[in-house]
Amino acid sequence: MTSHIDGIQIWMLAPELSVVLLGFLVLGLDLITHNRRVVAATALIGLLIPLGFTLSLVVKQDALTPDHTAFFHMLVVDGYALFFQFLFLVIGFGVLLVSYGYVEKFLRVTIGEYYSIILLSLAGMMLMASTGELISVYISLELTSIPLYILAGLSRSDTRSAEAAVKYVLLGAMSSAILLYGMALLYGATGTTDLTEIARNTQAALSSGNLVLLAADVFIFTGFGFKISAVPFHMWAPDIYEGAPTPSTLFFSVGSKAAGFAALLRVFIFGGLAAISGGTYLWVMVAIVAAVTMTLGNVVALLQTNIKRMMAYSSIGQAGYLLVGFAAIMISNSPAGNLGILAFLAVYVVTNIGAFTGIIGLADATGKENIRDFDGLGRRAPFIAAGMGLCLLSLAGIPPMAGFWGKLFILLTAWNQGSALTWLVVLGLINSAISIVYYANVVWRMFVAEPEKRDRLAMSGSVTLTMAVAVVGILALTIAFGFLLTGLGGGAGGLFPTATTP
Amino acid sequence: MQWLLPVIVFAPAIAGVALLLFPQRPAKLIAAGATLAVFLLSLWLYFGLLNGSATTFGDVLHPQWAVDEPWINIALGTFHFRVDYALGADGLSMPMIVLNALLTFLAVVGSWHIDRRIKFYLALILILETGVMGVFAAFDLFLFILFWEVELIPMFLLIGIWGGARREYAAWKFLIYTLVGSSFTLAGIFLIYVQTGGQSATYQHYASVASQLTGSLPLFGGSVSLPLVLFLLLFAGFAVKIPMWPVHTWLPDAHTEAPTAVSVLLAGVLLKMGAYGLIRICLGFVPQGVQEIAPLLGIVAAINVLWGAGASMVQHDMKKMIAYASVSHMGYVLLGVAGAAASVGGASLLDFRQAALTGATLQMFTHGAITGMLFFCVGVLYDKAHTREIDIFGGIATRMPREITLYSIACFASLGLPALAGFVAEYLVFTGTYALLPAQTVFAVFGVVLTAGYLLWMLRRSFFGPLNLKWRGLTDATLREAFPLAALAVVILFVGIYPQPLVDLITPAMQQTLHTVVQALAVH
Repeated sequence: MTSHIDGIQIWMLAPELSVVLLGFLVLGLDLITHNRRVVAATALIGLLIPLGFTLSLVVKQDALTPDHTAFFHMLVVDGYALFFQFLFLVIGFGVLLVSYGYVEKFLRVTIGEYYSIILLSLAGMMLMASTGELISVYISLELTSIPLYILAGLSRSDTRSAEAAVKYVLLGAMSSAILLYGMALLYGATGTTDLTEIARNTQAALSSGNLVLLAADVFIFTGFGFKISAVPFHMWAPDIYEGAPTPSTLFFSVGSKAAGFAALLRVFIFGGLAAISGGTYLWVMVAIVAAVTMTLGNVVALLQTNIKRMMAYSSIGQAGYLLVGFAAIMISNSPAGNLGILAFLAVYVVTNIGAFTGIIGLADATGKENIRDFDGLGRRAPFIAAGMGLCLLSLAGIPPMAGFWGKLFILLTAWNQGSALTWLVVLGLINSAISIVYYANVVWRMFVAEPEKRDRLAMSGSVTLTMAVAVVGILALTIAFGFLLTGLGGGAGGLFPTATTP
Repeated sequence: MQWLLPVIVFAPAIAGVALLLFPQRPAKLIAAGATLAVFLLSLWLYFGLLNGSATTFGDVLHPQWAVDEPWINIALGTFHFRVDYALGADGLSMPMIVLNALLTFLAVVGSWHIDRRIKFYLALILILETGVMGVFAAFDLFLFILFWEVELIPMFLLIGIWGGARREYAAWKFLIYTLVGSSFTLAGIFLIYVQTGGQSATYQHYASVASQLTGSLPLFGGSVSLPLVLFLLLFAGFAVKIPMWPVHTWLPDAHTEAPTAVSVLLAGVLLKMGAYGLIRICLGFVPQGVQEIAPLLGIVAAINVLWGAGASMVQHDMKKMIAYASVSHMGYVLLGVAGAAASVGGASLLDFRQAALTGATLQMFTHGAITGMLFFCVGVLYDKAHTREIDIFGGIATRMPREITLYSIACFASLGLPALAGFVAEYLVFTGTYALLPAQTVFAVFGVVLTAGYLLWMLRRSFFGPLNLKWRGLTDATLREAFPLAALAVVILFVGIYPQPLVDLITPAMQQTLHTVVQALAVH
């Protein structure tokens, strides 16, 4: 560890740093010009800079500090962190692009304001995956969350939006408190906030019968459980998804969820908490939460009439599948489970962006967001409907879309853990069959049901472009799923503390 | 010539997406041209493989012109996930590939008069063709389940958009039944993958370790036979597709509500996916599991045959009658497989096993051709008369000589008249299974009598006897309408009179499967 800050360390922070600067630049640009296109183009093209920094870090991994940490272990730039940085930048591109038309039409904020809030939150998300220390995990979590509260309340004339923002702030604050309490206990038990040190100390602490550590595990899992909307900490999701402006909802459903998992895995695996759970039956708790999360999410989604509420429960269900992979990690510290989560998240992000693009497209053109309003969209906007249909079917795990591989792989990694998780995998498969009913219902409405109006809907260029990229993305991911797994294998395996990797 | 099989599998879907970009008329021509080209290519593959290796296509261990590239290959810790992009064809799959290509082409021709959203319709039919081709051509279990589920949504939409009055109910029922079944199949695939080492999922791998797959699994404190659990899980999805009593109830609804060409594909090739899975995967890879349950499977097969036939007897709707007849006839396939796996007699009854299994495989092909033809016949009649009520017609043979002649041929083939295709398959099945599962066979044979009963009864009531004057304005099938019927009639006649080429090709593939079955018997 170097004791002073040098150029290499700044370079390792450059992706996050440049995203923050870009956020300020876009905000400032709003004062100078009223041309929305200029602002939007600056933001989108500007995102190439952090992307370039991230890629340079990927390529030049040997040139980094020997243990890939900087700023006294607060920043960890390993394969895992770089994957998430890349994923969040993809999310950034998607959300900025697709919200262009919506912001002008429905929100009384300038495009620069909206984009800068998203970019600041994005920087927080990127940091959540790259911190190696509890305090900075917490700070980056707050940097992520506070802009999200603002995003929820941006439809100023809509009371549902205000309600969503208030709920989000209150529940977010509560979950942060629980998380902090867990972290405090962890600090008390191990005497450090450095995750690498914690990983080293936990084994000794537990063998001396330290139950404080178990309580810390449970509290930290609960705190992140809110962020990833795991049952029973999911209550906020449907209301806030419904009330928030749709592009914000998209950002919650992909960004916030991926960031929650990024930090959860970072603390549990890198911090060595997962390694101690096999002998403590903590995995039973995770498995039960996974089972309840996917079942409740998928069953309740069947009953929804509002598409955003349906997508909220769908994203709860998807979190359940991800937690199946997490249970596999908890039970045997399995790198394969971690790989399953990363691959599933990559596919989920692209797919959900596509699905929400369809919802935003319809909202742009008609201002409606009930499932019933999708009647006949297949004829009113064939391309958007087809793309959205493919994305929904991918979420349901229907091939040839990549969601099929994502789900198959994550369930197989759990199955491979021996008979302890077999029931969970079978439940996952049954859930997958249930989930297709509500996804296919939207497809049915778009392509089979007769619309009230038959006029063609004009879709904005930004919506069409986002959809095209998402559809190409999920089909390409199907073919390239092998490359995805191979590419992520190192990052997924490298997260485990070397001493305990089997 | 390794490019041929991938082209046959993927060309339809590519053409299906491409035709959306064209106006209606050229789109139709593209669909017809693509399906015809795929059919010709499949014939080329068929005869090319035949000439290449003199007499056979080989078996599952020796597929010709096969493709096998690693697609996903990742090892992490103790976990290995490997999926091969493996396509191949042997004596079991090749007849199905040709049948699928032929029926899809005829389905496109038979749908020429549809105007409503025709481009979307054709695109779905072509994507469906790719899905079904993939199921028959895949030589890797993960690839198999991938293609298995591709078919789902196109069929759901085809029934939903172009179906009859109760299409919504039928489409959803089809979707839910199939999905629940295939969830269990996927669990079975996980189990067999992990239990056989988790290094590879290719058919060659499973076929070579099949006879060693024994042992038991802990379950709720006790233990159950591993092959039996594997069989039950894998078979769950196939049983729904075949369809096996008591999970057959989606079929009469789906077949009755679907438009003509889609019924043809459903009965002609989609049911065969289930039968194919049963023979290829259940019998081929977990023979012991089938053995343990063979007598019971035989009983269910007999129930299938008699239940389907009995239900056909009381139908008033021609299409529904044929749908139940499908349930009945797929029972013969089940019976043949159960017989081939029965543990009676050990290796000494190998010839009978061979006959039963070859018969079952042949029945897959002949049933596809015959039932496809029957559905086309009903379709043509419905287009003219706008009803399918059996009792409403009467003596219309004089008004529609061309249509009714072909319809009668199809009926005779279906009831197993010698010199037509149905006879050969049923005869082989019964000859084989009588030695292996006598009681079940004795009951199932009555199915033949019942089949003759309902088909002849329908012929008499609807087509012959005095003309019901209401129908005197009925016109005969046009040449375009009669074309699919005539084409299938030729196939049925040819296979009925000279089944040797087909039997010769199926036999070697089945020999290999039976070899594993008998080996497993010895281990037991």
